[in-house]
Amino acid sequence: MHDRDAVFSELRATLVELFELDPERITPEARLYDELEIDSIDAIDLMDRLRRQTGRKIDSDRFRSVRTVSDLVDTIHQLLNET
Amino acid sequence: MVPPVRTAARPFRDLYYVRLVTTGLSFLLFGLGGVLLGIVVVPLLLVVPGGGAARRTRIRRMIQLAFRFFVGFAHHSGAISFSFAGAERLGRPGQLIVANHPSLMDIVLLIAFTRDACCVVKREAWRNPAMVISVSAAGYVPNAPTDLMIERAAAVLSAGECLIMFPEGTRTVLHRAMHFHRGAASVALRAARVVTPVFICVEPPSLTKAMPWYQLPVPRAHFALRVGHDIDPVAFRNGPLPIASRALNERLAATYAAEGAGNY
Repeated sequence: MHDRDAVFSELRATLVELFELDPERITPEARLYDELEIDSIDAIDLMDRLRRQTGRKIDSDRFRSVRTVSDLVDTIHQLLNET
Repeated sequence: MVPPVRTAARPFRDLYYVRLVTTGLSFLLFGLGGVLLGIVVVPLLLVVPGGGAARRTRIRRMIQLAFRFFVGFAHHSGAISFSFAGAERLGRPGQLIVANHPSLMDIVLLIAFTRDACCVVKREAWRNPAMVISVSAAGYVPNAPTDLMIERAAAVLSAGECLIMFPEGTRTVLHRAMHFHRGAASVALRAARVVTPVFICVEPPSLTKAMPWYQLPVPRAHFALRVGHDIDPVAFRNGPLPIASRALNERLAATYAAEGAGNY
């Protein structure tokens, strides 16, 4: 069982490292594209990274509906708790 | 049909009506040649015995020869003129060739002068009955969806093939600043051994997105292609990919800005 808060803090660390973002800006409500300037190409890099971190194959379709950091946390959280 | 503007007492029109005929013939040749290639020649090459890679190389060679013939026809019939400086530096293993995209002829000229080239092609080609067999058999990469395109394009380069991409994605809109998508930079960082820019200048503008084919420029269009200095992607590989691909993309954009590309 993975805890949602743990997923958030790990994701925050990943975003900071990959995109050199200020950790303060990464709030659950922050919109990935408009506020954090993470575009579709970045999303691919991010997915690669998450794939390595979680060891799970991530289907890109699941990411199309992701808008905010919180959406992303939910997606990863769901993924980790799938059997 | 729009006649050219008369500017002098005895107007210089550079054989306008002759070119109209040869331009029409060039289009006809390209269309018929494409269909012949796509539904006869390539399918025949597909049944020639030989392994996958050898077969693919043979098909790319055939497409290259067909394009070379077409470019020769368009050039010698006077429909267009062109020059290509540094073409011998194209077609190296693991080389990513990037180019600006002012006209319909760009990919034709690049393929005609690059040995065993793979290229990223718009995915509509896979829905065109005359093209689908050629683009699949040649192992070309569809440009969408982006994540799959990036994976496939990187695999092509990793396998030591040479790949052609237009970072602008679509044909350049005249007199508007060029916008490079980061896809090409991302592909380069993942797998290219070397990135080689090609600068394409069409003067006067011809076969652009906004012009019908029969609206001929005066004088005739000259396509000048020049191969630029290699860019070593290794220099950009020292950080996380998103940061690195932005840096490489900016470098590419600056290289083209320095050439004055985008203002043609």
